[in-house]
Amino acid sequence: MKILLLAILGSIALTAQGQVPRPAPALRIVEASGKTTVLSSYRGSVVLLAFISTRCTHCQNASLIFERLSHELAGLQVLEFAFNENSDAPAFAKQFGLTFPIGTGTTDSAHDFLGVSRGERIGTPQVVVIDRSGIIRAQSERLGSPILQTADYLRELLKAVGAR
Amino acid sequence: MIDHSLVISPMTAILFHLKQGFFLYAWPMLIGFLTILGYQAMGRLAMSGAAKWPVVFVLASAVSMMSLFGWTMMVRGLHMIPFYGCGVGLASAVTSRVYAVTLPEIAIAIYPNLKIRSIRVIWRGDVNGIQKLQQALRARV
Repeated sequence: MKILLLAILGSIALTAQGQVPRPAPALRIVEASGKTTVLSSYRGSVVLLAFISTRCTHCQNASLIFERLSHELAGLQVLEFAFNENSDAPAFAKQFGLTFPIGTGTTDSAHDFLGVSRGERIGTPQVVVIDRSGIIRAQSERLGSPILQTADYLRELLKAVGAR
Repeated sequence: MIDHSLVISPMTAILFHLKQGFFLYAWPMLIGFLTILGYQAMGRLAMSGAAKWPVVFVLASAVSMMSLFGWTMMVRGLHMIPFYGCGVGLASAVTSRVYAVTLPEIAIAIYPNLKIRSIRVIWRGDVNGIQKLQQALRARV
């Protein structure tokens, strides 16, 4: 019985992910040009951060929505973090006409930021909304949240967080 | 996961879930239904020999294009299989109860000279309708 209970608790712990609200962990986004952006440097702006795979069609569609919102809303900074192997961020940005910074990084750093155990499967895009004071106010479920990929809902959410 | 202290209008979330529900569950059912209905109608028309071959060609093309368009619009996943199956089953069950489909001319009350054709379904249980149709067919011969 004890073993079963431990197994259940262990599996819950393994599949857990960071809760909201919580302070955004440190994250470095390295662009293809070599420019390094630290997430904390955007303190004072609402940040829409998406962890993507450049090959995933949902990420491609969502990126187009993020691009539109970045022009629509003042005080919003969109950032993307591509963590798939051999991700070509400049080609991705060029193909879809994206003007916000897109960096690349490791899967482990994406898992650590999202509060998901390393090696655990995550659905992309993982969308994170961070308020002006650096607190994560919304985050996709571990296997993805389609509602955080829709323009209308994201617009309402970002306005509620402080974008105008 | 969204911070519950945020004040967001529930309408956008409700609309999203309605739209998602429609495309996840109702759309596969509708496509399954329309595909079978279209192929059955086209098949019966083609087999009757009453329609000219260009009509059969155009109808068959339109039905296959419609079903392919529906499939590309469908959110494909394991969850959609039973709903698609229900649509196919429902259309098959409905068409199995159809005895004949006729296109009678109906005069419009305001303009008695103007007659338009309307679709009339004769169901297998409609004894009167079947008798009238058979009488009409015999009279035509």
